[in-house]
Amino acid sequence: MHPISQDTPDAFITRHSSFNFHEYQSGRPGFGRIRVFGDEVFSGAGCGYNMHPHHNLLIMAFVLQGRLTHLNTMGKIDVLSAGDYYLASFGSGGKHCELNLEAEDMNAIYVWVLPNRLMLSPSYARSHFDAEAGRNKIMTLVGTDDGAVPVPQDVRVSRLVSDRVGLYTYVPASGEHGVYIFALDGEVTCEGTTLRRRDSKGIWGVEQLTCQTGPMNTDLIFVETVM
Amino acid sequence: MSDDGLKTYMCMGCGFLYDEKLGLPEHGVSPGTRWVDIPDDWICPDCGTPKSGFEMVAIPYAVEGLELARTV
Repeated sequence: MHPISQDTPDAFITRHSSFNFHEYQSGRPGFGRIRVFGDEVFSGAGCGYNMHPHHNLLIMAFVLQGRLTHLNTMGKIDVLSAGDYYLASFGSGGKHCELNLEAEDMNAIYVWVLPNRLMLSPSYARSHFDAEAGRNKIMTLVGTDDGAVPVPQDVRVSRLVSDRVGLYTYVPASGEHGVYIFALDGEVTCEGTTLRRRDSKGIWGVEQLTCQTGPMNTDLIFVETVM
Repeated sequence: MSDDGLKTYMCMGCGFLYDEKLGLPEHGVSPGTRWVDIPDDWICPDCGTPKSGFEMVAIPYAVEGLELARTV
């Protein structure tokens, strides 16, 4: 399993997983090509996962709070703050380390996705979601859209930060695609279900879906995947 | 994904592959060994995830990926 930093006894990781992860729960194994959707908090300076190996998986982290220090054997040492995100494609093999070096909690959403090819050349890319510039529209963070981080799989990750009453329409690539919607904050009604902070819903088999937001700040992540 | 019915399994803890065609000679598993013939207490050599934490995948190799898989 992933080695948690041993020399920081006051540090701890909190992880809420939407799907099965290791032995921790027995429920839905994933959604389409998604295998992990983890809401993780690294509490305490020095907290995190020490260097450990991966193959093949596409691992993304979307930082919501604090600072994440990420090191990988693709040769990158990165520090990510709120709004920053990365996509690491481990392909034929690599290692990484995820750390919070500061007193403030680090909160990130980790998403693991199966690749569309095995043993790809490992790669790492990072970008930033500007919540101000992107306000009140659905912004694509990962996928084939202009400005999005490319991903070797038929998936798309988007984010919506809304501060007003609004009706947003999300159009999947096809009716064969599903969308996993996770409410980071606020309140939204998606296709007849009201989601509040940390609620989620998977929707598939529709040509489009609508999200009705209220007047308060609402922050949503959409992970679209071929089913 | 192969014509001979041999399958590939991926560790959901770390992404490590077990390809029945390749086996894991460096870990004492001969090429062609079926997943079902690997002991239930076998664990992922990279991360320790139990055998039950692997999933069969039908994902093609990248160009030259199979060659890389032989050397990992």
